[in-house]
Amino acid sequence: MVPELVRMSGITKRFGGVLACAGVDFTVRAGEVHALLGENGAGKSTLMNILSGVHTDYEGDVAVHGEVVRLRDPADAQRHGIATIHQELDLVPQLTVAENLVLGREPRTRARLLDRRAMQRLAREEFAALGIDLDPNRPVGSLRVGEQQLVEIAKALSLHAQVLVMDEPTAALADAEVSRLFEIIDGLRRRGVGIVYISHRMEEIEVIADRATVLRNGAVAGSLTPAPEHRPQLISLMVGRSVEAMFARPKTQKPAAEARPLLRVAGLTVRPRTPRPGRAEPDGIDLSVDAGEIVGLAGLMGSGRTELLETLFGAGPAARVTGAVTLDGLPYAPKSPRAALARGVGLVPEDRRGSALTLPHQVDHSMVLSALSRLTTLGFVRRTRERASVLDMMRRLAVKAGAPTAPVGSLSGGNQQKVVLARQLMTVPRLLLLDEPTRGVDVGAKAEIYQILHRLADEGMGILLASSELPELLGVCDRVVVLRRGAVAADLDPADVTGDDVLAAAMTAPGGTDR
Amino acid sequence: MTLLKTPPALARLTGGRRELVDRLFAVQSLVALLVVFIVAILASPTRDGEILFLTAGNLGNIVRAVSEIGIIAVGMTFVVLLGGIDLSVGAILGLSAVGTATLMVDSGYGIAPTVPAVLAIGAVIGALQGYATARLGIQSFIVTLAGLQVARGLARIWSGGLGIPIAYGDGPLQAPPAFEILNGSINGVVPVPAVLFLAVGVAAIVVLRTTAFARHVYAIGGNEKAARLSGVPVTRVKVAVFAVCGLLAAVAGVIHAGQLNQGSPNDGAGYELDAIAAVVIGGTSLSGGSGSMGGTLAGALMLGVLNNILALNNIDANVQLLIKGLVIVAAAGLQRLRRGVA
Ligand SMILES: Nc1ncnc2c1ncn2[C@@H]1O[C@H](COP(=O)(O)OP(=O)(O)OP(=O)(O)O)[C@@H](O)[C@H]1O
Ligand SMILES: [Mg+2]
Repeated sequence: MVPELVRMSGITKRFGGVLACAGVDFTVRAGEVHALLGENGAGKSTLMNILSGVHTDYEGDVAVHGEVVRLRDPADAQRHGIATIHQELDLVPQLTVAENLVLGREPRTRARLLDRRAMQRLAREEFAALGIDLDPNRPVGSLRVGEQQLVEIAKALSLHAQVLVMDEPTAALADAEVSRLFEIIDGLRRRGVGIVYISHRMEEIEVIADRATVLRNGAVAGSLTPAPEHRPQLISLMVGRSVEAMFARPKTQKPAAEARPLLRVAGLTVRPRTPRPGRAEPDGIDLSVDAGEIVGLAGLMGSGRTELLETLFGAGPAARVTGAVTLDGLPYAPKSPRAALARGVGLVPEDRRGSALTLPHQVDHSMVLSALSRLTTLGFVRRTRERASVLDMMRRLAVKAGAPTAPVGSLSGGNQQKVVLARQLMTVPRLLLLDEPTRGVDVGAKAEIYQILHRLADEGMGILLASSELPELLGVCDRVVVLRRGAVAADLDPADVTGDDVLAAAMTAPGGTDR
Repeated sequence: MTLLKTPPALARLTGGRRELVDRLFAVQSLVALLVVFIVAILASPTRDGEILFLTAGNLGNIVRAVSEIGIIAVGMTFVVLLGGIDLSVGAILGLSAVGTATLMVDSGYGIAPTVPAVLAIGAVIGALQGYATARLGIQSFIVTLAGLQVARGLARIWSGGLGIPIAYGDGPLQAPPAFEILNGSINGVVPVPAVLFLAVGVAAIVVLRTTAFARHVYAIGGNEKAARLSGVPVTRVKVAVFAVCGLLAAVAGVIHAGQLNQGSPNDGAGYELDAIAAVVIGGTSLSGGSGSMGGTLAGALMLGVLNNILALNNIDANVQLLIKGLVIVAAAGLQRLRRGVA
């Protein structure tokens, strides 16, 4: 019999009037990967926050190694051998990568001073194990979200815990990094570590998990062994009904003659005044997006997708920009996001906490921020109009929130993402730039977002979608442009290619002669 | 083992109590004001059985004394919501008092050109400071620390380093008698400066609750990068906020000159700290993005009541400082508690 590392029984947790967990039973055995699935707001993170000592007021019992414990705080949980990779990245931006890695347990020299050498060594070792190439001396604030996620993973791994909770660890990772992570998880599993794995990517669950427990509205809806043939069952357990095809698009193939050019980019090159380490700036990019077209941006982490989108949104650093960009046939070189928005270009940034939201602020205020000018007369906000459009948007995107006035921080991660998307849609853009728009969004909501994107495209909006999820790119986009080190490596038709083709293009130059 | 579980009913109760606490905190400064008010009544000296604290004259004195700091604190609230701080308001008050006296008495201009000119000077100084923080990226603490010195220096140069008395009359070197209204009261009860304070306060509450401008202020204070990416005109909003703060400090300066019948270059020294204290007691977070104007108004009144009752009881001035310091720490501590729990 495999030893049980953790047994949670009858866990109930309320936030004010919201019942986040309702009598949940959950176990973790040694040497297994136990997937925890469920829609946004189902209570997954809440359950794991109880296990990791973040929430201390709950009903029910948590037993570690058969002994009922009341974990007082995250440090207490770590002492019990439970390490957690939290969904929302919790690193200190001012500190360096290495400092974050050892935060709270810094190695000391004999004179009780900070042992920088040991710190560096530790960081390099952890990164080598993860197969990532990251300078331990860079401040975390300068890292991209995906890189921060890797640091967070390395930090949790370096605790050598017996129970490892991973709350959407791959949400910001591209496929290459994901497969590397899976190798590590496999190694941990063989060493008898018990792993809780939360993800909205079904393909991942099927590859890595030994069993899956599904939460719905805070209660256990069922358990299954994940496998491709069980996927419809799992999904219907999650959403409480069956979901038809994810990417179903009423293919209204527009004849080529009808295509109206919206965005034209020729030879776009960006040279920042102060170079940004670890970033791939656009380097001679040619690209076009027609009205009504959804163009995907693929590439590995650091291939320049985010930098391209930022440049197109006027949000890049002070830089010398060369090349020709036109929007609707007119020259387009936005100096600020405000200028871009005025031209009808919107951006959903990849880092929702750092670049889009203020967690204590109200959901409704957060949603309308970019579209305030549409909702005001003489500078005064028209409350009824505001309320109507917020409610309408919450319905369209199926945002789950206690109330429109609830703080954004009280929403589950996926629902926070929907708030960010809603803010852009409220501006009714002509060109929508999306950077990982479904990061942390559940299957049902993803399907809804895809449908919304298709509807918007059918209404004539042009969409440029950067994503690390190949199924998403191939399923949603009309064309997929692959970037590699700031340049276009391939322009593919999803109908003709597989994920492997995209990956191959992302990693090597056409003809296979890299470097 | 099941005995250890909290019964659902109890959990619901504690959940409910948490909500009640939250709601109390929302009006925290109002509660504090009420508490201090009641304590003041109890601690007030009496004469012939009459509670001195509650006499119309005394209450009028309180609001009169509070009005200048209160008006400054309103402007300060906008700045703090933005995530900034303005140390120059006391010096701007001094400069404006000097300006009022000089222009009206020495130069013989009437009220009409004098007051708008003085207010414009305050607004321009504020706007320049806002521009410097927004465009040059220097912290407002430093910019306004410099602004403080500049405004104080200008006031000394302009006045020749001396206080300029204001006499009323129609002759030369006399101010128009109409200006004396700032020293008067409506029906002999409500001091005119208090009415101005009330008007400014109410207007600020309305602005903060209903305008797109206020949403921008909160957005920038909460997460400046996100605000910029959302198309908020960050520079423009910052300039406007600091201009408003400078303007309101100038308003307080004009009132100050009217109340004291003089403009002295050292007027308003240290007022910035009282204003910041009122804002903090009012529950506005110094890191920006959250807070309310109502809280600031209550905070300013609370400080006024506290000053008054300490003075009524002839408490030693140094001990007064001590007590005020403790109250501010207590108010800030309450806020930490609330955020730490949530
Ligand atoms: N601090 C909080 N205050 C109030 N409500 C909260 C808080 N944290 C979570 N909730 C609510 O509890 C419910 C469960 O949230 P939780 O974060 O556990 O969902 P989740 O399953 O992790 O979702 P996601 O997949 O989007 O991350 C949601 O309705 C959420 O709004
Ligand atoms: Mg979650």
